[in-house]
Formats: sequence, C-alpha cells, structure tokens
Amino acid sequence: MTDIFLETRNLKKVYPDGTEALKNITLTFNKGELVSIIGPSGAGKSTFLRSINRLNQPSSGEVIFQNEQITNVKGKKLLLVRRQIGMIFQDFNLIKRSTTVRNVLHGRLGYMSSLKGAFGRFSEEDVKEALAILRRVGLEDHAFKRADELSGGQQQRVGIARAIAQKPALILADEPIASLDPSSSSNVMNYLKTISEEDGITTIVNLHQVDVAKRFASRIIGIKAGEVVFDGKPNELTEQRINEIYDQRGLVNELTS
Amino acid sequence: MSKMNKQNNNLSRGILWSLAFIFFVISLLQLDIAPEKLANIFSRTQRLLDNMFPPVIDDPINIAGAAIESLQIAVMGTLWGIIFSILLAFFAAKNMTPHISISYLVKALAAFVRAVPALIWALLFIIAVGLGPTPGILALAVNSVGMLVKVYAETIEEIDQRVIDAIRATGGSPIQVVMQGVLPTISSIFISWSVFRFDINLRYATVLGVVGAGGIGWELIRASRMIAYNEMLGVTIVMFIMVLGAEYFTRFLKQRADLATIRATK
Amino acid sequence: MNLPLEEALQQQSNKQQLQYEAYKSRKRSLLYNRYFILGILAILIIWSWVGTKFHIMDLFSGFSNMAIFIFQDLLPPDFTTIPSFVGPILETLYMSYVGLLFSVTFSLFFGLMAAKNTTVHPAVAIVSRSFIAFLRSIPAMVWGILLVAAIGLGPLAGTLALGLSGIGILGKAFADLLEEIDENQVNAVRATGANWYQVIGQAVWPQFKPGFVGWSLYKMDLNIREASVLGVVGAGGIGFALEGSISLFQYQQASVGILAIFALILVVEFITAKLREKII
Repeated sequence: MTDIFLETRNLKKVYPDGTEALKNITLTFNKGELVSIIGPSGAGKSTFLRSINRLNQPSSGEVIFQNEQITNVKGKKLLLVRRQIGMIFQDFNLIKRSTTVRNVLHGRLGYMSSLKGAFGRFSEEDVKEALAILRRVGLEDHAFKRADELSGGQQQRVGIARAIAQKPALILADEPIASLDPSSSSNVMNYLKTISEEDGITTIVNLHQVDVAKRFASRIIGIKAGEVVFDGKPNELTEQRINEIYDQRGLVNELTS
Repeated sequence: MSKMNKQNNNLSRGILWSLAFIFFVISLLQLDIAPEKLANIFSRTQRLLDNMFPPVIDDPINIAGAAIESLQIAVMGTLWGIIFSILLAFFAAKNMTPHISISYLVKALAAFVRAVPALIWALLFIIAVGLGPTPGILALAVNSVGMLVKVYAETIEEIDQRVIDAIRATGGSPIQVVMQGVLPTISSIFISWSVFRFDINLRYATVLGVVGAGGIGWELIRASRMIAYNEMLGVTIVMFIMVLGAEYFTRFLKQRADLATIRATK
Repeated sequence: MNLPLEEALQQQSNKQQLQYEAYKSRKRSLLYNRYFILGILAILIIWSWVGTKFHIMDLFSGFSNMAIFIFQDLLPPDFTTIPSFVGPILETLYMSYVGLLFSVTFSLFFGLMAAKNTTVHPAVAIVSRSFIAFLRSIPAMVWGILLVAAIGLGPLAGTLALGLSGIGILGKAFADLLEEIDENQVNAVRATGANWYQVIGQAVWPQFKPGFVGWSLYKMDLNIREASVLGVVGAGGIGFALEGSISLFQYQQASVGILAIFALILVVEFITAKLREKII
C-alpha cells in the first residue's frame, strides 16, 4: 500500500472565462484503493477527474500515472493512457441507438486499429469478453437490446461494463449515482466496490452523498472551491469536518439524514 | 388584473380575426373572384371533364420515357443535394465550423437558396447550361441544399458532447469517435430528412419540364397547348402512378430496414 | 464434487458460445440488410446517372456558368422596375391567402370524414383518405395547368390550384390530428353531461388547435412559394412577369422579381412565425 500509483502535483485549472476551478491540488493515490471525493457542486470535483484522463487540459501542474508524466502527452500516447483509465459518467453517456453489447465493446476501441474500431469489426475474443462482462454486471439477457431501452440503473451498469472492458488500471466515476434512485444507487455502488476489490482497480468516485461515500469508500477527500480541505479515513470525517466542507449547516443535515 | 389581461387578449384576438376577414374580402375583390364567375366555372369544368374522358396516352413509349426521366432527375438532384449539404453542414454547424462567421455565412446562403423556388432555379439554370435534364438536376440539387444544410446542421449541433467524451475517454481515436459515437446518433435523422427531400424533389421533377428542364412536365404542357384534354388526363395519371409508386418503394425499403433493426435488437 | 463443477463450467461456456453465435448472426443479418439497401440505391443512382447523361463536369460548368450569369447579367438589379412587380407580388399574396382559406375549409370537412374516430362511416373514411391522397400526389403546378385549360388564364386558376393541392396536405394533417385525439379526455367531458358543442369546444378543439394552427400557417408558407411560380403556366401571380422578363432577356429586371419573391417569402414567414407564437 506504499507504492504511489497516481499523483497530482499543484494541479491548476483556469477556464477561459476566468473561473478558477482547481487551485494547487496535490494528492497521491495508492494501488487498489477506492477513494471518494466529496464536496459541494461547483467545487471542482468533476474538473479534477477530467484533468486526470485529460478530457480537460490542466492549466498548470503535473499528473503522474504509474510513474509516468502524462500531463502533456499527445496523440497516440494520450489514447494509450486513456485506455488504461475507465470513466463512468453521471448521465451514463451511452450511445443510445447502439446495442448494449456494442456499448461495452466501445471499451475495446483503444486496443484496436483505428479503422477496425471505426467500422466496428470487433474480434471474437473481444465480443466474448464483452458478453462475459455483461454477465458479470447481471445484464446478459439485455445484450442485444438498444441501450436506451434499459432503465437508468441498468444503463449505468453498462457504463461500468464499458469501463471494465478497457481492462483499466484506474476507474474514474463522475457522480455515477446522481441520476439514479436510491436502490439502483446502492446496486451500482456495490458493483463498483466489488470490481475495485476483485480486480484490484484503483477507483476514484465523485459523490455528493456523504453517507454513500462513508459507506463504500476506504478513503475520503473533501474538495471545496478548488482546494483539498479534507483527506482521511471515513471514520475521521466528523460532523464538524462535513460542515467545514459544505459550509452550510442546513444542507449537511439534509444530506446526512 | 388577470381579468383585464383576458379582456385585452380577447380584444386583440377580435382585432386579429377581423383583420383576417377584411384581408380575405380585399383579396377576393382584387382577384376579381365574383359569384357569377364561379358559376361559370362549373359549366366550363363540365366541358373539360367531358373532353377528358376517356383519358388517352397518345405515345406511351415517349411518355413513359419522360416519366422515367423525371424520376432520374429527382434521384440525381437528391444525390448531389445530399453530398453538398453534408459537406456544407459541417461548416454551418456551430460546434464544427472553423469560425463562427463561416457558420452564419453558410446558413444565410442556405436561407436565400431555400427561399427561391425550385422552378425559378430551373429557369436560371436553363439560361446557364441550356435545356434538358441537367438544369433540372442542378436546380433540384441547389434547392435541396437550401433545406438540407439547415436540418443537417441542426442535427450536428444537437450532438451530445457528453457522449463524444465517453468514447474519447475509452482511448478511441478521432475517426472512431465519429464512426462509433456520432454516426449512429445522427445517421437515422439524416436518412429520414433525405428521404423526405427525395419525395419533395420527385414532385418538383414532375413539373420542371414545364419550363424545359426535362421530365414529364413538358408532355403535360404539350398536351395543353394542343387542347388535347384527354391526353392531359392521361399524362396526369402517369404522373400520379409514378409519384405513388416511388412513395411505396421508399416505404418498402424503410419498413425492411426497420424490421431488420427490430429483429436484431430483440 | 469435481464433476458438477466441471459440468457447470461446461454449461457456462456453451452458453457463452451460443450468445456469441447470436451476436454474429444478428450482426450478419443487419449487414445483409444494409448491403441490400445500398445495392438498390447504387443501381438507382447508376441508372439515373446514365439515363440523364449526367456528366460530373456538368456540376462544374453549371455552377461556374451560373456564377458568371449572376454576376454579369442578373446583377445589379434594375430597381427602377420595382413598380411593375408591385401588382404581381400583391396578386401572389392574395392568391396564397384565398387558396389557404379554401383548403382549410374543405380540409376540415374531408379531415373529419377521413379520420376513423369522427367519420360517419368507415367506407366514407376510406374514400376521403383516397381522395386526399390523390389531391396530394399531384403537384399544385399540374393543377394549375389543368385549371388554366378548364377556366382560362388568370389568378382564379392559380388560387383553385393552391386550394386543391392544399386539401391534399391539410386534409391528411387534420385527419391524422383528429385520430390522435385522446378519447379519455373527450369521454371525461362527455361524462359531465356536456352536449355535442360543449364536447367539441372543451375536449376536442383544445387538442386539435395547436396542430390545426401550425399546419395551416405552414401551408401559407408553402402557398407563397407555389404561387410565385404558378404564373409560369399562366395561373396568376408574379411568375408570369418574371418569366416574361427572362424570355425577353431583361435579366436585371428579372433579378428584381427574384428579390421581390425572396422578400415576400421572408415577410410572410415572419408574420406566420409571429402568429404561431401568439396563437399556440
């Protein structure tokens, strides 16, 4: 648990309109841990995740992933980095008109030649693997349905399946349960936790539900206005610290009750 | 307060309806549509109908050839309309255009091209390239571009950036993002607009011949100049069959495709 | 203890194989269907390409000649000829409007007869649907030619042509709208003991109105375009004057006519858009 797996140094992001989304974020993550990032909306949680797989280009600072500087990698190299990092989104972001299994197969795009992937010529092993992953998230009977025919919770499980298909070393989940009802939420979180533990995948989950974070994460990071204000074990996150993160007593009561 | 609003509303509605009515009366007067004239219509239509039946197709091979030419003009006009529209739509869509002013320029151009009716484009292209099917094809292509650039660009503008991000996050290359992420979402909308446009073009193609731009329209004008009412009806029936037949054919293809998709996603 | 486990694994892998086969066959059938349709399209295109003797150079020469024609002959417009277009432009507007009211009136009747839930008899519905489809599949221009032959040159022929082709479009639209009306709402109002007029006014009309207004205004937009070219066959409107100036090689006058049509279309579309906002 001592080798550093992912590290950010003085990460900064200023948007073109002048908003300072991240201010000097310096964090380290270990192999296999499930970390939850909490904080009010607009605190910069999403920007932080998207800076790691470079869907957002950080303004300054460094991202070191498996002992490699990836802050400025470009082109082919960037694609190789991205394929090792699975991402799960709040709104699932599936290709709605494509089938479930096709959406999972999209996780293999980074491993294929550009043209083969473009025309969807997936290999037999990839297809079998994708079907096996769908079985793992309990969706084998929905493999050939169009993605938009599934319920929200099921769609998010397809999102997880797509991330696993990448055989990632790291999974980033950006508010994965914000659009789901409570029972689907804990179902999805259970899958994330199981996969993180069984496959030893480091998982970083943005959440705004503090209770969920406490229940599932092995470590919690609090971000407020682009700065880290808490970093510790779930049991160290006291009522008072939560208040500090959210800075709003009423909201916290609402969230923890 | 709300009562007054309602009264106001009723008042403005009343004004609107009276304006509409007054304008109707003015229009009738200006068009010189008077009751005795309308009464006249019936007797003249009676005579026309008497002369129309039974319909005659004087030169079947010639007329069938002209009908086929109309169909071919519609196919070619739609083909080039689609090709140019796809190219231009990427410049017109705000999220793809190299510069926002190019987007406005292309959209304004499309609006102008759209507002000039196809038949006038045909008149102009006849001057530019001479008589025959070519001016008809070009006129339909240009007129289609006016409409398709607009709807294609709107479709592209509605592409969900979040879905694109999802494919990028898997390590997909740009061409994979377009083919696997963007195309499945927009292709069905593109196709249904294109089919819709083909139906419009086919109807235009039947009348382009009126000004000499190829197709069956010319046969109708020819018959009317010879005051051969029975031939006019014959040509009209051929047009009708052609348009209906093409519509059934596109519907058949669409149903076949839908069925295949349903079977594959069961 | 080992045997059942192996068996289970075997079953599992069989199932996997089956599912993979299913994936393959689905993908194959989709591909075949796509090739089938693309094949038909390719044949259609080649057939049309050869049949119209189209040459790829026609695109180039067509557009370059058009550009030369526009900049050498059409421009600049001779704005002193504006007065000669005022009458025809107004006539185009009147024709469109009267044609619209004509087709709205008759479309309401035929739409009611054609919709399954409002018709007096299923047979009447079929006859009305076919009649509407017949009117729709013949372009307004063809109606114009036929009516000019029947009742002579002039805007009356054009107005009636717009009216007839309008029934084809609006009749179908109104019938479809009526068929989509939610019966539950109608029954709910009827259950309160409302009479026929009240049922129509309280339950049917509110559901019908947005589509009715939208389609009618859309038809007005279309009418302006149609009416501006009906003159080419002598059925009234600006088309006649425009073709006249083109056949007399008065291109700078013709360009004023084209601009006038453009302006008329923009103005009418602006007004219909405002009305759409206000009424719906």
